[in-house]
Amino acid sequence: MRINFWYISSFIISLFVIIPILTVFSSFFESTSNYYQVLKDTFLMEYISNSLILLVSVLILTFLIGTGSAYLVSFFNFPFSNFFKWALILSFAVPPYIYAYSLTAFFENYGTAYTILKNLFGEGNYNQSIPKFDGLLGAVLSISFSLYAYVYILARASFLYQSQNIIDLGKNLGFTKFKALYSIILPAARPAIVAGLSLVAMETLAEFGAVDFFSINTLTTGIYNSWIAFDDLAFANRLSFFLLLFIFALFILENLSRKNAKYHFNTKAGFKQKEKIQLLGKKGFLAFSFCFLIFFLSFLFPLSQMMYWTIKFPENLFDLNALDLLINTLYLVTLSSLMLIIFGLISNYGNRVNKNKTLNILSTLSISGYAIPGVILAVAFITFVAWFDNNLVKNLGFVSIKKVFIGSILGLVLVYFVRFYSLAYNGIKSGYEKINISVDESSYLLGYSKRKTFMNIHIPFLRNSLLFVGILVSLEIIRELPITLILRPFNFETFATTAYISASEDLLEAAAVPSLFLILIATFFIIVTSKYILRDNNE
Amino acid sequence: MRKISIITLIFSVIASSFAIADEVNVFNARHYKADSELYSKFTNMTGIKVNLINGKSGALEKRIISEGADSSADLYITADAGRCGAMDAKGALQGGLTSAAIKDAVPKSFRTNKWVGIAKRARIIYYSPERVTGAELSGMTYEGLADPKWKGRLVIRKSSNIYNKSLVASLIKNNGKAATAAWAEGVVANMARTPTGNDRAQIMAVAAGEADIAVANTYYLALMLSGKKGAEQQEAAKKVKAFFPNQNDRGTHMNVSCAALVKGAPNKANAVKLVEFLLTPESQEHFTNNTFEFPMIDGVSPSPLVVNNLGLDFKQDMKTKLASYGKNQAAAVEVMTAAGWK
Repeated sequence: MRINFWYISSFIISLFVIIPILTVFSSFFESTSNYYQVLKDTFLMEYISNSLILLVSVLILTFLIGTGSAYLVSFFNFPFSNFFKWALILSFAVPPYIYAYSLTAFFENYGTAYTILKNLFGEGNYNQSIPKFDGLLGAVLSISFSLYAYVYILARASFLYQSQNIIDLGKNLGFTKFKALYSIILPAARPAIVAGLSLVAMETLAEFGAVDFFSINTLTTGIYNSWIAFDDLAFANRLSFFLLLFIFALFILENLSRKNAKYHFNTKAGFKQKEKIQLLGKKGFLAFSFCFLIFFLSFLFPLSQMMYWTIKFPENLFDLNALDLLINTLYLVTLSSLMLIIFGLISNYGNRVNKNKTLNILSTLSISGYAIPGVILAVAFITFVAWFDNNLVKNLGFVSIKKVFIGSILGLVLVYFVRFYSLAYNGIKSGYEKINISVDESSYLLGYSKRKTFMNIHIPFLRNSLLFVGILVSLEIIRELPITLILRPFNFETFATTAYISASEDLLEAAAVPSLFLILIATFFIIVTSKYILRDNNE
Repeated sequence: MRKISIITLIFSVIASSFAIADEVNVFNARHYKADSELYSKFTNMTGIKVNLINGKSGALEKRIISEGADSSADLYITADAGRCGAMDAKGALQGGLTSAAIKDAVPKSFRTNKWVGIAKRARIIYYSPERVTGAELSGMTYEGLADPKWKGRLVIRKSSNIYNKSLVASLIKNNGKAATAAWAEGVVANMARTPTGNDRAQIMAVAAGEADIAVANTYYLALMLSGKKGAEQQEAAKKVKAFFPNQNDRGTHMNVSCAALVKGAPNKANAVKLVEFLLTPESQEHFTNNTFEFPMIDGVSPSPLVVNNLGLDFKQDMKTKLASYGKNQAAAVEVMTAAGWK
């Protein structure tokens, strides 16, 4: 094993990402409890059951919405089916917390629904007859309508690869459409659907904004509160432990489902392009209605509620330093995605040329950052920097480094890096898997150095993957809340933090303007990138 | 070229962390637009730049404590004496808010040497005049919220809310923990719904007929009446009336927005100056007219919207020290949780 530049840099990158993750784990062994045991047990049960209810409900809902709509647009032609194909991913632009603001704004007493009813039917007390979507129900809806697109995208991609042959097989066996869906199409797409659902599950467990807005006690808000409000690290760790158990179980489930996927299609030989079934009349209308309803609820509804408020309370528009916020947001996005792409590339290449077991394990571990909620990462980062500073830097007689890392752009970008490293690493890895290793060998034979192979051959090959990773990471950072809230410098706000702070101060109307900007920017990113997300061929 | 620009970028990021100037660093958990206007005024007057980090109180407190002696925080400004008290209990504050200007302006029970109140609010009862009679309300107290006659008629926020924690802490201070535990059970039994929403949502629940009485802070009703929240909420606010409890004994529960001096503050003198500035009549008037709080100092009148709709001559509880809200906070949480207050 030769130690070279690529090995060392991959090693350092992975190690850096793992440190905060290890900090979370290692703190399981500390004990600083000063809080009443009885209360803790009460809370613990509540946190676990709320998290479970939330998780299961969101999974069911995103499965139904995501696979249902993917099935319709993949197998059928109906009015506007080509439009829905990409319109259904726009829900990504609306983070769960903004969806939560919209739900509250519309359905609360004397809210938008009340105004509409009053304008239609005149004075009256409609408040009692308007359903209230708050609490756990509100959170389930907010998260589901924002995240179902994960399931939709992956299920659709998998449906596309299904050959007409197996559909014909079902037909020959006399299967009805429902039977074909149930016994052929869904099982064949299972690994993709499970992968989508596990992403949803991870995001749901880590969800902070919407859950906090409805003040529901889940494991994640519980960790935040016991760490932050009660200074009870031991209890926070116990909660983290349960949360990680959940996540671990999800990992295992996902892996099992991949291993059990026995439905391999040889896409090269015998692949027959699917013929989409034309849905006419009532059936076409039903399919259209289903997709429109989802598009409306997931995107048009929050967008129009935020627009309505922006118009109703225009003073908030003028009070907002939109340009500053835009610059700040883009600054973070550019810096972080550049860093993630560069280091993701180096680490991938390091793994490729070295094929070293230790490095491989380290890389696998380092992508688990995505499974750890942002709140926990941010606090773990502060804890680590403080510990490092107090125990090492100061003892060696250096000036405190806390200010360099806490409350600085540098610290912020570093924690983003840890959190989203898996997105970058895996995105680039899947691009790399398409470059045959023989390409590298030919390159070496031609006398190219490792560096030259990397710069002149791999990077041009990977251009599309890199763009896709960049956009994916950007979308995450535009919407990111807890890390930015905890670690940002003085006088530094983004659209997300401005919206959140206004909303938490009971100024929902003022939250509408930054929310609207956030949705529009994210929508722009999604539209620009939709052709990469929705690739129709096997590229 | 690309390398140079990346290196420059990295250095500018690091360098920006070390800028030094005549400034004061405020960790701010009060996010009223009116406040930032006041800070600009202060900068114009004194030349001292006010650096803000806005956030929710919990996260700000955690950051101040984690940064410890190296924290850049000078002042921590938040909306509840319970929070300032809790920070004090954690040893994150230092004495020094003892200038004559501060002592003259703020009554003794509303300050310590580490934190002072900068604007007052009362937590009161709102009721529906259609469904609640004068006789029912006569002599009403916080203690009376547990009376079975309110069964299914009361709305109040979650127990995790700091205003509720401070209210219950003051009850523990006055009546003892055992009596307050029994009281909390009575309150939970009277609730018209599982607690949900903010203070304004409680007032609107009474307006909409979901409940007959609500507990909420004073400035919310004025805010709704001002029309800043839209015509519908203005209309809703007119359907409820305010009632100040405990007029026949210690007076209505008062709370403050407070400014606390952080231990290790790098700009201590500037921080004291800013607090003194916030206690001047001009600043106080700015608070009362924009956030509809009560002034901390004598000689400034609350907003006309507050005076006309809530009344002015009510007896404030000046006896219960606000420092007790922080001290009894853990007990308050314990009492509420044990009673099943969500």
